[in-house]
Amino acid sequence: MSRPADTDSTDTNAADTTSSPSKDAGITQAGFESLKQAAHWYAVLRADDVTQDDHAAWHIWLDQHPEHRIAWQHVEAVSRRFQPLQTEEEQHAAVAALKAARKPNLSRRKVLNGAAAIAGISLFSWATWRHTPLSDLVMAWAADHHTGVGDIREIVLADGSRLWLNTDSTVNVDYHPALRRLQLITGEILIQTASDSQLSKRPFVIDTEHGRLQALGTRFTVRLNQGETYLAVFEGAVKIRTESTRTSEVITAGWQTRFTQDGITESQPAERARQAWAQGILLADNMRLQDLVAELSRYRSGHLGVAPEIANLRVMGTYPINDPDRTLAMLEEILPVRVRHILPWWVTIEAR
Amino acid sequence: MLPSDHLSFLSIETLYCDHHGWLFRWLRGRLGNAADAADLAQEAFLRLLGKPCQFDSSESARAYLRAMAKGLCVDLWRRREVERVWLEIIADQPQAMVPSPEHCAIVIETLCEIAAMLASFPEKPANAFIMAQVYGMTYREIAIELGVSERMVKKYMAQAMLHCALIEVGYVAAC
Repeated sequence: MSRPADTDSTDTNAADTTSSPSKDAGITQAGFESLKQAAHWYAVLRADDVTQDDHAAWHIWLDQHPEHRIAWQHVEAVSRRFQPLQTEEEQHAAVAALKAARKPNLSRRKVLNGAAAIAGISLFSWATWRHTPLSDLVMAWAADHHTGVGDIREIVLADGSRLWLNTDSTVNVDYHPALRRLQLITGEILIQTASDSQLSKRPFVIDTEHGRLQALGTRFTVRLNQGETYLAVFEGAVKIRTESTRTSEVITAGWQTRFTQDGITESQPAERARQAWAQGILLADNMRLQDLVAELSRYRSGHLGVAPEIANLRVMGTYPINDPDRTLAMLEEILPVRVRHILPWWVTIEAR
Repeated sequence: MLPSDHLSFLSIETLYCDHHGWLFRWLRGRLGNAADAADLAQEAFLRLLGKPCQFDSSESARAYLRAMAKGLCVDLWRRREVERVWLEIIADQPQAMVPSPEHCAIVIETLCEIAAMLASFPEKPANAFIMAQVYGMTYREIAIELGVSERMVKKYMAQAMLHCALIEVGYVAAC
């Protein structure tokens, strides 16, 4: 198992010489060290021979300090930049373009006359293609459970608690002698806790980047969405504690809310739809078409758009969540809309 | 408005009057077309506005602007090169496979950002990083391709990621 401490200054000199901290820098020495360690962990987790011990050590590092988590988010942000490259052809074109852009005497003449640059492609043409964005892959390897786009999975945990993972979700399960802990990395989960058989009755908590949720005998969903954690409680109660302000609030059955590191939004009555996905159902209860489509696109790769003039049409009913194409066909039957398949990965819904 | 704001505003205005003319001509000579030169000259002053600098002489302002303009030229050429290679290869695709203009724009933007991030980075680590990130190649595959050990590939990955992450947080400027 390798640790950041192994990488002494002589080991990473290329990176150090190009970018060592300087006086006017907008980053602290600690921030720089954390980034360096995050980059190291990234390389470890991405390796062919990554072990369970590496994952465990990475977790410990991640939890050690808030700076570490921030640094890891930057590493993920870099990884995400590569996500738009979806097809094999695009990837070849991208690599050729990147190689061309690296040519040392890039100048007007070369740009105007250059017919080269394409030579590099054949070198890579045999390479394997993986559709999943890399940052997700890295996280998925480091996590205990992961679902792909369009998958929903049910898992029974060691203590009998049940966990459903919604589409494109990643959860770490981390049961300690003193604590039952889940960490939601991406996506959404539904939890039905069991009472702990151990005498000590270990607390059951879920951590997200925005804070900690403590289950108080319960059934609830947790979702990471657009920089916030969404919580909906259907049985029992859940206590929220935000990551940086340490604000606490208990949310009881029948209520839902959302929170960031800094605060908790006022609760609202819980929508039934928020747990329907665990049964493979998309429940539309007077839902705007635009919201339904946003929900549907979580289960489907590629672009799914709605024309603005029909975005506010109201939709009622239940739809099969794991069959987005059938759902689209059903929408076409009940609404004055037409589904256009422009490209296999590019679908728009328009007025009929 | 604070007195200091007033001063820096005035000095930008003075800088613009004193330096826009030669900068535009210099860019036009280098780029060979007036429209691009006008765009870049504008961009150079916009960047100066966003990050006001104190200059003790007209000569130091001139040197600063020239360095910035050189950088902008490289950015522009890099963007054109990325666009050209990308569009050439994509244009060879069967019609049904050609991505939308919107998607192409997103990808070209992405590629320019990545290219800028890796521009100042050594060849082999940059290639290792691109192979891993774009193709999802394993360290073993990359090691064979580059003729280095897997251990070295891992080191390259950490170096390249650190380099890009430092740019990502805005700590080191991309060039």
